[in-house]
Amino acid sequence: MPETYRPEVIDHLVRPRNVGDLDEPVGVGESGDAACGDIARFSVEIEDNVLRDVRYKVYGCAACIAAGSALSELVRGKTLLDAARVSKEDARDALGGPLPAGKEHALTLVLDALHKAFEDHWNRAAGNMLVEGYGGAEADDGKTVVAAMSGGVDSAVTALLLKEAGYQVATVTFRLHDGERGSRSCCSPDTVLFARDTAHRMGLPHFTLNLKDLFQKRVMRDFVGSYEKGRTPNPCVACNAHVKFHAAAFLADGLGFHHVATGHYARVADGAEGPALARAKDAAKDQTYVLWPIPQKLLARTVFPLGDYEKPEVRRIAEERGLAVAYTPESQDICFIPDGNYRKFVRKKVAAEPGEVVDGSGNVLGRHAGVVDFTVGQRRGIGVSAPAPLYVTEIRPRSKQVVVGRRKDLEVHEVHVRDMNWFLAPEEARAVQVRYNGSPVPCEVEELEDGGWIARLAQPVMGVAPGQSAVFYSEDGERVVAGGVVARRGS
Amino acid sequence: MTEHRVYLDHAATTPLDERVLEAMLPYLSGRRGNPSSLHASGAAAREAVEGARETVAALVGAASGEIIFTGGGTEADNLALLGTARASESARKRHLVVSAVEHAAVRETARYLESSGWEVTHIGVEADGLVDPEELVAALRPDTVIAAVMWANNEVGTVQHVEELAKVCAERGVLFHADAVQAAGRVTIDAGCVPVSTLALSGHKLYGPQGVGAFYVRDGVAFESMVFGGGQERGIRSGTENVAGIVGLGAAAHLAREELDARVRHETRLRDRIIGGATALPGVRLNGHPEERLSNSVHLTVEGVEAEGLVLFLDALGYEVGSGSACASGGHKASPVLLAMGQDEREAFSAIRITTGKDNAAEEIEDFLEAFSTAVTQLRELSPLQIT
Repeated sequence: MPETYRPEVIDHLVRPRNVGDLDEPVGVGESGDAACGDIARFSVEIEDNVLRDVRYKVYGCAACIAAGSALSELVRGKTLLDAARVSKEDARDALGGPLPAGKEHALTLVLDALHKAFEDHWNRAAGNMLVEGYGGAEADDGKTVVAAMSGGVDSAVTALLLKEAGYQVATVTFRLHDGERGSRSCCSPDTVLFARDTAHRMGLPHFTLNLKDLFQKRVMRDFVGSYEKGRTPNPCVACNAHVKFHAAAFLADGLGFHHVATGHYARVADGAEGPALARAKDAAKDQTYVLWPIPQKLLARTVFPLGDYEKPEVRRIAEERGLAVAYTPESQDICFIPDGNYRKFVRKKVAAEPGEVVDGSGNVLGRHAGVVDFTVGQRRGIGVSAPAPLYVTEIRPRSKQVVVGRRKDLEVHEVHVRDMNWFLAPEEARAVQVRYNGSPVPCEVEELEDGGWIARLAQPVMGVAPGQSAVFYSEDGERVVAGGVVARRGS
Repeated sequence: MTEHRVYLDHAATTPLDERVLEAMLPYLSGRRGNPSSLHASGAAAREAVEGARETVAALVGAASGEIIFTGGGTEADNLALLGTARASESARKRHLVVSAVEHAAVRETARYLESSGWEVTHIGVEADGLVDPEELVAALRPDTVIAAVMWANNEVGTVQHVEELAKVCAERGVLFHADAVQAAGRVTIDAGCVPVSTLALSGHKLYGPQGVGAFYVRDGVAFESMVFGGGQERGIRSGTENVAGIVGLGAAAHLAREELDARVRHETRLRDRIIGGATALPGVRLNGHPEERLSNSVHLTVEGVEAEGLVLFLDALGYEVGSGSACASGGHKASPVLLAMGQDEREAFSAIRITTGKDNAAEEIEDFLEAFSTAVTQLRELSPLQIT
């Protein structure tokens, strides 16, 4: 690493290219903060997915000024896809090679500002569409795919496999909430920056979409609200139902791409009336239980490359190809609650109202601090002493009562399900799974007059919690017939 | 890189004066002799060293026996502080007071003493960089051994009220060290009037060679050696003398004393022209005391522009200036001096130092101001920050 700046850097410093702000930009992005002192801003003019014009401004060291100038020169006039592919290494090369020690952050800073301008462009194009929900336009068939990229091993290998299969791949990372590690600093190992680096190392374009409003409205608000209503929410299901796949499809349409892909473990099978969701090859990793709400129209353009792989194979592919993500840990259950303490999270959002703990006959056994602290099937923290273990069997939010009983009181023979999303005909449903790590139980289904469905179970199951998903599988156990939300336990 | 280069970074180092070089040359080419040797060559070398000691002593109003030569200003600060600290400390007397704007040579020596059991009190400065004598008095304790406040600041150029500061210490039996590396040759220093205990000096800040310095230690002040060997420099700083360097320092000190008034007059004129011209631009302001400052020092905050880019831009145009403290600008850390003066980090990163010298011409300053205006304007066009 050189100790002083190369002549290329000084040239960009003294004669910076594309300085300024565009009068009517379609996107503006800023990166940096007061902590590290440097700020970069890019404004972009995009027409027909070509970066017609770009302007930048920088407050920062000479490296930042020169890096912004070199980057603007690299991307100006390129197609959006090629511009989004330009990496830190490309900018470094344009500056004649490595920057002095401690100055490499300049490349990250200006690239992030440019990408935030692209993000702004997409979010302006989306308008309210993403917040209100996006169904997706019909796109031409073709080997083009938008692959969601979290920065983890699964999504990175997904993008890689698609590329190797001959797809034209664009990657996208979603900003879902502010809880992401280091998301407010340009210099910390932010997951977005990491995902971008990963994509760029594979030579793939990378985009970001800001879905915080959509995620707040369709996932987080419902998450908190569910506990208030005595239900046990599944935020991953809500995100798959309303956020992730819709946003990927939106970007695909914007780029004129056909497919969308994620690193989920699932497959898409043929059904009589369009595609059906199907179990992954790796049964232990199968994620159909949380993917059931994908609208069939979106599933028709969805690819799950990992559905045909076992997890160890995926890790091996990442290692063989030298992806830096190979050793990242498995992601946590709920992405917006990094410490896993969702009770604390909910408690911060809602006021706790105390109530009674009662038995099945209505006898008051004790008091509790709020129904949000309980979920059906819970054994710990009930605060009532009894000769045999007590379980929460029901939550009555209106009367603020928590009903407890014996273990056998948790057994149910029927489950009421609503908000069904069908892939196959109802008569194909042979078994239902009611917990993420549960096994499907043979059942018969019947439509109710109120539009909901009832699943009559061949054997009782324990701990069916309202708000969780009920996913119905076909006779071979592979294909998802339909999925829905548990409305209440039956008899 | 432009052919014609204008050097405006004299606080970092000054060019070697040709007359100084001439005085040194014989000792670098042909003249031999170790000042400790008994033969004629040795005696001649001894004579040269002692002659230099006298001119250095004269520059600061000292007796020649009070001057110890060192390998530079940093060593002078280190030895002056450590030598007096070790000689005067006791189990119940290990307290040191230093100002918040000291050069690293003093700051880090204080940190070292702290690590070896001393207590250190840091006293702040006003927004103009001046130490308030009352604050110094308030920081002194019965167990205080030394107080250290630099004569003139190497970054912002503020000249302290050393006489008053030294007096309040002397009255309380506290030793007083002044880093006079920047002040010597630009400010009249008279150890006969100002009751300092020790002073640090450097050759290459007053048109002498690099790698040679000296410190003054007042006659009668207890001192313990930190460098052991053949007993040179009264046993305080052993090691065969750097004869050519010492001769150079002596010649430089002599010229500095002779030409002090003329240099100050010339530098002040250039300095004030730079201050006037630069601060006429919006969002450019002077740091440090407006009057009580070194004759050659201009320290500016240029809003909306980070110093590094400005320094390199000016360099590309042929003008060499400093960003913050020359020693601090390598790493991405805000100057502690500016933070101590109450500036925030962003302001501190937007500060540049322009220090003139005796050989700068008035036309160079006019050209510089034009280049400065160009650089600031262009870099500001680049800046997303608003200029207030």
